Amino acid sequence: MMRLRSLPCLALAVLGFAVSARAAEVIDFNRQILPILSDACFHCHGPDAATREAKLRLDQREGLFRTRNDLTVVTPGRPDASELYARITSKEEDEIMPPPAAKRQLTAAETELLRRWIAAGATWGAHWSFQKPVRPAVPAVPERSGWDSAQRVRNPLDAFIQARLAAERLGPSPAAPRAALLRRVTLDLTGLPPTPAEVTAFESDRRPDAYERVVDRLLASPRYGERWAWEWLDLARYADTSGFQGDPERTMWPWRDWVVNALNANQPYDQFTIEQLAGDLLPNATKEQKLASGFHRNNMFNGEGGRIAEETRVENVFDRVETTATVWLGVTFTCARCHDHKYDPITQRDYYALYDIFNQMSETGSASGGGGRSGAVAPVLDMSTDAERERVKKATAKIEAVAAEVEAFELKKFPRPAGKTAFDSPVAQQLPGNLPVTLAKTAPNRRGVDALLEAIPHFKSTDPDPVYTALLQKLLAAVRARDAANNAITKVMIMDELPKPRDTFMLTRGNYEAKTDVRVTGAIPAVFQAPPGGQRLNRLELARWLVSPENPLAARVTVNRAWQAFFGTGFVKTAEDFGVQGEPPVHPALLDWLSVELVESGWNMKALHRLIVTSATYRQSSRATPELIERDPENRLLARGPRFRMPSWMIRDQALAAAGLLNETRGGPAVKPYQPPGLWEEATFGKKTYQQDHGEALYRRSLYVFWRRIVGPTTFFDAGVRQTCTVKIARTNTPLHALVTLNDPAYVEAARVLAQRVLAEGPADAARIDRAFQLVTARGPTAAERSVLEGRLARLRTQFAADNAAAQQLASSGEAPRPAGLDPIEHAAWTALCSLILNLDESLSKE
Amino acid sequence: MNPHHEASALYTRRQFFGRSAFGLGTAALASLLGRDAFGAAGARRGVPGLPDLPHFAPKAKRVIYLFQNGAPSHVDLFDYKPKLREWHGRQIPDEVVGGKRFSTMTGGQTARPVLGEITQFKQHGKSGAWVSSFLPRMAEISDDLCFVKSMHTEAVNHAPAITFFLTGSEMAGRPSMGAWLSYGLGSETEDLPAFVVMTSRDKEASCGQIFYDFYWGSGFLPTKYQGVAFRGSGDPVLYLSNPAGMSREVRRGLLDDLAHLNDIKRHDFADPEIATRIAQYEMAYRMQTSVPDLTDFSKESAETLAMYGPDVQRQGSYAYNCLMARRLAERGVRFIQVMHAGWDQHRNLNTQLKIQCDDVDAPSAALIRDLKQRGLLDDTLVIWGGEFGRTPFLQGKIEDTKQWGRDHHPYAFSLWMAGGGVKPGMSYGASDEFGFNAVQNKIHVHDLQATILHQLGINHEKLTFKFQGRNFRLTDVHGRVVSDLLA
Repeated sequence: MMRLRSLPCLALAVLGFAVSARAAEVIDFNRQILPILSDACFHCHGPDAATREAKLRLDQREGLFRTRNDLTVVTPGRPDASELYARITSKEEDEIMPPPAAKRQLTAAETELLRRWIAAGATWGAHWSFQKPVRPAVPAVPERSGWDSAQRVRNPLDAFIQARLAAERLGPSPAAPRAALLRRVTLDLTGLPPTPAEVTAFESDRRPDAYERVVDRLLASPRYGERWAWEWLDLARYADTSGFQGDPERTMWPWRDWVVNALNANQPYDQFTIEQLAGDLLPNATKEQKLASGFHRNNMFNGEGGRIAEETRVENVFDRVETTATVWLGVTFTCARCHDHKYDPITQRDYYALYDIFNQMSETGSASGGGGRSGAVAPVLDMSTDAERERVKKATAKIEAVAAEVEAFELKKFPRPAGKTAFDSPVAQQLPGNLPVTLAKTAPNRRGVDALLEAIPHFKSTDPDPVYTALLQKLLAAVRARDAANNAITKVMIMDELPKPRDTFMLTRGNYEAKTDVRVTGAIPAVFQAPPGGQRLNRLELARWLVSPENPLAARVTVNRAWQAFFGTGFVKTAEDFGVQGEPPVHPALLDWLSVELVESGWNMKALHRLIVTSATYRQSSRATPELIERDPENRLLARGPRFRMPSWMIRDQALAAAGLLNETRGGPAVKPYQPPGLWEEATFGKKTYQQDHGEALYRRSLYVFWRRIVGPTTFFDAGVRQTCTVKIARTNTPLHALVTLNDPAYVEAARVLAQRVLAEGPADAARIDRAFQLVTARGPTAAERSVLEGRLARLRTQFAADNAAAQQLASSGEAPRPAGLDPIEHAAWTALCSLILNLDESLSKE
Repeated sequence: MNPHHEASALYTRRQFFGRSAFGLGTAALASLLGRDAFGAAGARRGVPGLPDLPHFAPKAKRVIYLFQNGAPSHVDLFDYKPKLREWHGRQIPDEVVGGKRFSTMTGGQTARPVLGEITQFKQHGKSGAWVSSFLPRMAEISDDLCFVKSMHTEAVNHAPAITFFLTGSEMAGRPSMGAWLSYGLGSETEDLPAFVVMTSRDKEASCGQIFYDFYWGSGFLPTKYQGVAFRGSGDPVLYLSNPAGMSREVRRGLLDDLAHLNDIKRHDFADPEIATRIAQYEMAYRMQTSVPDLTDFSKESAETLAMYGPDVQRQGSYAYNCLMARRLAERGVRFIQVMHAGWDQHRNLNTQLKIQCDDVDAPSAALIRDLKQRGLLDDTLVIWGGEFGRTPFLQGKIEDTKQWGRDHHPYAFSLWMAGGGVKPGMSYGASDEFGFNAVQNKIHVHDLQATILHQLGINHEKLTFKFQGRNFRLTDVHGRVVSDLLA
């Protein structure tokens, strides 16, 4: 497309004149120029060879500065002698770039910026994130009157932030009040609120390192691993079922517990990575290391009827490639399944080179082989217990007993020659739908849930036979019990490696059956300039490379995700994309400093978290002013502390903790707390029934809530979908979210039990209000707030006194025990008031 | 929330509280928020979409998509092919099949005998549209419908094919059409979600097709644009009802003080998110009123109810969902996705197809009549169809008439559209004489999507969202508006 030609002389002269005036300007190629070139030019002049026009690549230095036919694309210092500039300013329809038909056009400001960049010398650099981070010097913080610099710069992190703020002519905010800070850091490090006693202790601790002591206590708490596992489970697409039709259960929870333990033990992140990607390939791999490799078996698995096994297998490999790229490279590989990446220097060959590495597992794509109807697909690590196996044996025996009864009845119902199945009975052949096969042709002890669910309505209403229906229902119950027992057999899916490697061919447009004849073998994407060894890389070698100094991205994306969790947004807002089209980082030097620090600390994650939360930046108050909000609405500069709505799982845990309901049992199979009836049934056409747990299981931490992939837990909102790797969770506000925290029985019960808790505190309303408020927000209400709540309490008492039945109902919501003798009117009024407190914006937010 | 809203919400409350200094009492706040939360009297309620939308004057304001999961058999219902009866039982010619791929259910089957249609076809209305005897009510309104007989798609399995229709990609995780529309166009109501989904299945529950939530997901768009699935039993919206013992009056009072306390915080912290929070809770409260009103059929006339058929009173039935669709359309909901599963007749065409047709025939036709009577059809685009068609040849054995079936068939199938600026009384496009390949005026799924967006005033190439460095759109890099279909 881009035919090179010269500019008219006049323009040349004018532009040449303009250049000298601005020659000293510094323009950052990576931040200012590359995004424009990428967005507007790379589609046709970028990495993708298939769509490249005029053989011109602007994403590489050679292309950008090349000279051909006496025309130079970019001549440093001389826009007038740069064909690129000539073309973007051309008035000729067949010359101007981008072409008039292109969706992306340059703005006048962008054109001008490109001109200034060329004029200033056209400095060039490869995309920032593909270059290894180098520890930058810690900037000196300008002195300012009225500043206590010891308070402002507690560690180098603050120096970077302060320097930027000074450049922006902004100042930091004062430190957050102690109670607010304690709540913030306790939620961040443990996912739970501080107790009132912890608040009091911290407020009265005058030692200079009181805060650091709190941080160390929190980092050492086993709750830390439970809190940080959540993010890891989102990106590992962890769930308790396989997804798709049938959505069979799996037992990956020992892997989840492995993650919690590893985080609590502060396993170095490089080792954490290697064991999860390739624990099975480590020399003399331990059981724990094999278990860790379950990371890449957490993907969905499509075992639908009619599904081609190879298609499933190939999709699973795709998922593993892309998840790995997202988690450890922050680069989106998906595009390169079908073609070279349009913007980033990732070729389709690079994609299939990674694909080859994950293509060597024994998984066949067929769902059978894991045992019974379980979603655990081989290869698996058998972690079953005697009790589990015993349960299956008993359930199987029960089926045999019921099946014998059914068999006896069917001999009469479907008469046939001796020794034949019911299918040979003319009566049975008249059955509708699938029943002649799935029911009549199948011996009673081998029938599945689907067949019985089809048969029962038929014999119940269409062709009624109450006795037979009852028998089939009994059989269904027995089959379900056996399936449940089978599904509960603990088998963790893990990785393995084929003894003889599978050949990998590039696939046309990612189609599993469209193999090209291009054979590829495991390798690091070429852009990372891995040492040219030529030999085929395996999973272990890949894992080691990912956390080696050769990979410029792993530490950065890891630091970025931590930053995102603490401050609401990462340095790079597009946490899933550090590529050319991703958002450039705010505070880029700090990102690199922290990345180098993380690696040099031996990938010490707790040290990273400690560094962040002990900074003055983190400890600032989140109180803002309208001016500051206008200046920096998303708080990217960090002239104030973080304030944003907590993830819904944390809101639930907080409510349970405030009420004193929280059960802190750690690990084990998932639990099934309150959920509106019928949801699973609706989603699975009655094949799956939600059997809610009772007692302590209702109050376990959210981490342990059972996650059915096709219909996730409804008590959470804005949660990761747990279908594909998610590194950035949406934070939105819809009325449906408000309905959850107002009306979900878990929250109503938490309010009710919180009310009990404060009612037991003593007779004064004001003190009780203070206590309830304190349990949730870690602070007492102001006088104005208290008076609003007192006024409401008085009205609630009147309202419930007028409706004793309503009071009874509200005061007994949920299954938690209720002390005898509590006045229902009083209890209901306080329940309603506590619900209000749990729904305060401050309660829902980390402040 | 839209910035304009935020600003005006902020303004109203600041003004209010500024004057009252919390002294006016919460009743005044309630009425302020409850009656008209955001603006001057008479201002139109709604949630604005993108500033540059619509791109041009729209013909339709909303869409009702009657999605028939499992794939209705085009050759038995709309695409009349006398050749099938003629060839019944004989191997379909190889040159027609041409090495195409099928699901594993017939992929390995070497015998592919043609199966004549199991229904009777007749021409109907002034337009002379061919409609099967299984769909008598639809046949009666055929002059209002625009039949497309040249659809074709790419996927051969249900979930990927449905995902392709609704999100433009076979892989789960892209925004669905309804999400794109509520993102782009906003909503005409604040009392209900902009995008509502309702699902039902055949009474015999013969099929195992699951409704995945990514059929109405928001993908990389913010989750507030995802479809809200109304449930088929209990509260249509999860957690809609106040807990037992909490009256509406008690709730109102609590929300008044919640708003009051949140506003104290907003003054103190200047965080605009708090204003959004206040609005969020008020919308939840309004939804608690508007949804019960929505589902209250007591004011529907006997004639209307009769038209939808006896199932209309059964929550979760297709008939119920069709009437709900009209009521949602009246209330300004942008995209209404009604999904009915049970069309997957691999082995039970003779028994199940009729049952399935009986479930949907009268309610689908009633919806069109009902919309038309109320003047809503003009600006409501209705689409009826599945994710692909079914093979003109038999799955199973020709002598085993009980278990006749047809396999998945993406190469030609039919659907119909009505209202929303689409030409009524037209049959468009054609498949070959076996109903096997779309041959004339072929319409690809992306073309249909482009056309739907066009009717809503959207250039499908311009409604994009940048994610992972790329501008994504519903139609990927394909799609053309089929202007032949447009009135």
